[in-house]
Amino acid sequence: MTRLSRRHTIAGMSALTAAATFKPRPAKAAEPVTVWWTQGYYEAENQAVTDAMKAWEKTSGTKVNLTIMNGPDLISKMIAAMQVGDVPDLVHAVTGDRFLVPRAAWDDKLVDLSDVVDTQKNEFHKTALDSSRFYNQALKKYSYYTVPIKCSTLMEEVWRPLIEDAGFSDNDIPKTQDAYFDFFQVVQDRLRGNGKRIYGLGYSMATKEADSGTLFHSFLVAYGGAGIVAPNGKLDIDDPAVRKAAMTALDRLTGPYKKGYVPPGAINWGDVDNNNAFFAKQIVMTPNATISIAVAQMEKPDQYYKQVITQGIPNGNDGKPVLGIVSVSPCLIPKGAKNIDGAKELLKAFIQPDNLNKYLKETRGRFLPVMMSNVKNDPYWQDPADPHRPVAVDFGLIRPTMPWWMAYNPAYSAVLSEQIWAQAEANITQKNMTPEQATEEAVSRIKAIFERFQIA
Amino acid sequence: MSAGSRARADRRLVDAGVAVISAVLIVWTIVPLYNMVRVSLQDKDDVFSSSVFPTTSTLKAFQTAFHESYWLLANFWGQMATSFYIGITVAFLTLAIGTLTSFTISRMRIRQGWMLTNAALLTYMIPMSFLAIPFYSIMGKYGLTDNPLAVIAVEVTFATPYAIFIFKQYGASIPHELDEAARIDGASPPQIFFRIYLPLMAPALVAIGTYALLLSWNEYLYAFLLLSSDSNITVPVGLGKFLNSDEAPWNYLMAAAIIYALPPMAIYYTFRRKMNSGLTMGGVKG
Repeated sequence: MTRLSRRHTIAGMSALTAAATFKPRPAKAAEPVTVWWTQGYYEAENQAVTDAMKAWEKTSGTKVNLTIMNGPDLISKMIAAMQVGDVPDLVHAVTGDRFLVPRAAWDDKLVDLSDVVDTQKNEFHKTALDSSRFYNQALKKYSYYTVPIKCSTLMEEVWRPLIEDAGFSDNDIPKTQDAYFDFFQVVQDRLRGNGKRIYGLGYSMATKEADSGTLFHSFLVAYGGAGIVAPNGKLDIDDPAVRKAAMTALDRLTGPYKKGYVPPGAINWGDVDNNNAFFAKQIVMTPNATISIAVAQMEKPDQYYKQVITQGIPNGNDGKPVLGIVSVSPCLIPKGAKNIDGAKELLKAFIQPDNLNKYLKETRGRFLPVMMSNVKNDPYWQDPADPHRPVAVDFGLIRPTMPWWMAYNPAYSAVLSEQIWAQAEANITQKNMTPEQATEEAVSRIKAIFERFQIA
Repeated sequence: MSAGSRARADRRLVDAGVAVISAVLIVWTIVPLYNMVRVSLQDKDDVFSSSVFPTTSTLKAFQTAFHESYWLLANFWGQMATSFYIGITVAFLTLAIGTLTSFTISRMRIRQGWMLTNAALLTYMIPMSFLAIPFYSIMGKYGLTDNPLAVIAVEVTFATPYAIFIFKQYGASIPHELDEAARIDGASPPQIFFRIYLPLMAPALVAIGTYALLLSWNEYLYAFLLLSSDSNITVPVGLGKFLNSDEAPWNYLMAAAIIYALPPMAIYYTFRRKMNSGLTMGGVKG
């Protein structure tokens, strides 16, 4: 056997090193993109986003770490994450336009997404675009800090069989604000006369989550309070018309509650609880932020096509259409994200009109598109055979709409987070304040909040 | 009426009062549990029915949870395994830290040892929830977010002070003469710890082990805050997702909750006798 000399050893080591050095290596994989996404109300919604992320993984070669969590939890976790600076790369938060984005943008904690929005700017619905601009206090300017993904406006859901049990038909349902909601009180009286233990109105009135705020503000606009915050961010709550609208809205919401036309538990309803009360036939109708109630019945054709009626918000008492307030579910990228470029690329691909339309259809159309081309080019959205979706499209995208006031001034996000109007309702129903007193208390708190958010 | 018959009447009145209050308390306690079982035995469409007894009883909800055949229960057993992993690790670490600390303080008589016990108890002055964000920040810095180790660390932090306190109190009932006799026979401190101290502390170990396990078993806030992905979350966080679902299938939720409640119940009833003596004797000095 040949003895291994020092020279052989050195030569061998050098050869090994050279081989290791010149051995072809796989290309360095792109950084993964960590995505937090709001959980859907049903499996199809989650599956749709999972499929979309998998498709992008294939085309881009970038891994997506997708975490799906329920809405309120996601907002809480994002606030904690931004507080400590350990954030995901991309977030889709369904109520983020109200409770998360406006103040995060004000505090300069979000990445400016104007370049992403620009790739589809002509496609987006105007109100969706208006709802995506927020004011940055550090930079003293408005910019696009979110990308709109889907949207919704308040809809009314009604049980047809219960209306019929009360001796009415669809055509008997009035078309104007006060008459519309008073009608369901009559329905309750008649049903109770027939021995049914039921409530006419499913108003969400809790001092938590989003539905009660959506309902109150729809009433506020219906009674002439749309100008509570001007587009320049100025609070106009001392405008007598706005003040009167707020007072009337509070009175019209709490009056039926006190008279027993709204379930007593409604003051503690989370966003899904009015849906559940509706399914349990505890209530004849309920205003709801989306058409989720109907969509959840899609697999029961009798209920979907025959029993559940979806209507838009009624006209004002003057007979004129009321502006629908559009809630936009946004995507955002928090500052401090590790892979901002990857997140932007993912977002640009996701908002391609065809991709976005496919995603929204797979979610069964619970939310509306934010691109009019989706509605025009795909008959799915205005299918006359569908009793729910075209109604939502009409009220959310075709009729006149407006953004939430947080787009004008982030202070209104604090108003919603503090549930000031829901608290005013509670003051009336629980503490026996008059609507005037409750309005005054709410107004003084809102003024104090706006003091902290002065727009230059 | 004679004094004797009046006393009997008074006693009957007191007995009746006690019976009524007991009945109210029993109903008050049992009704939610009964409702839980009732809903779990009903079909999805019947859960809102106002009938006191299930009209048609079925075990379908339990089968669904068992086979993970509903989308919100798709990783139920994985989440159960995470809950077990966290619970058992927390119990073990709490016992290890608690016994070693109490042994060091009370048997090896380190100077100012009382300060350590009192300082640990001081941590209870601040509610757990107030420390959520600081803990989130710390775990983020250590790269432990979405890692069960983060929840374990938090739970051990909260369980240990109580463990030290109970072990120290309980240990006081074990005569020091035993240590001295062992020391004369040549036993080292580790030998005294393992061969004398730990065996005599068995009831307290069972009580605190169970307490630590249940603390982490039922934990929601920190598990929700520190864990994100479906593969890492615990059962309570997983079940929390039901509350976001339209037309939530409460029967599946209740069935899953009952299954989740079985292990701690089994542990409690297995060690009940030792737990009781462990917790009560901890308050009495020997």
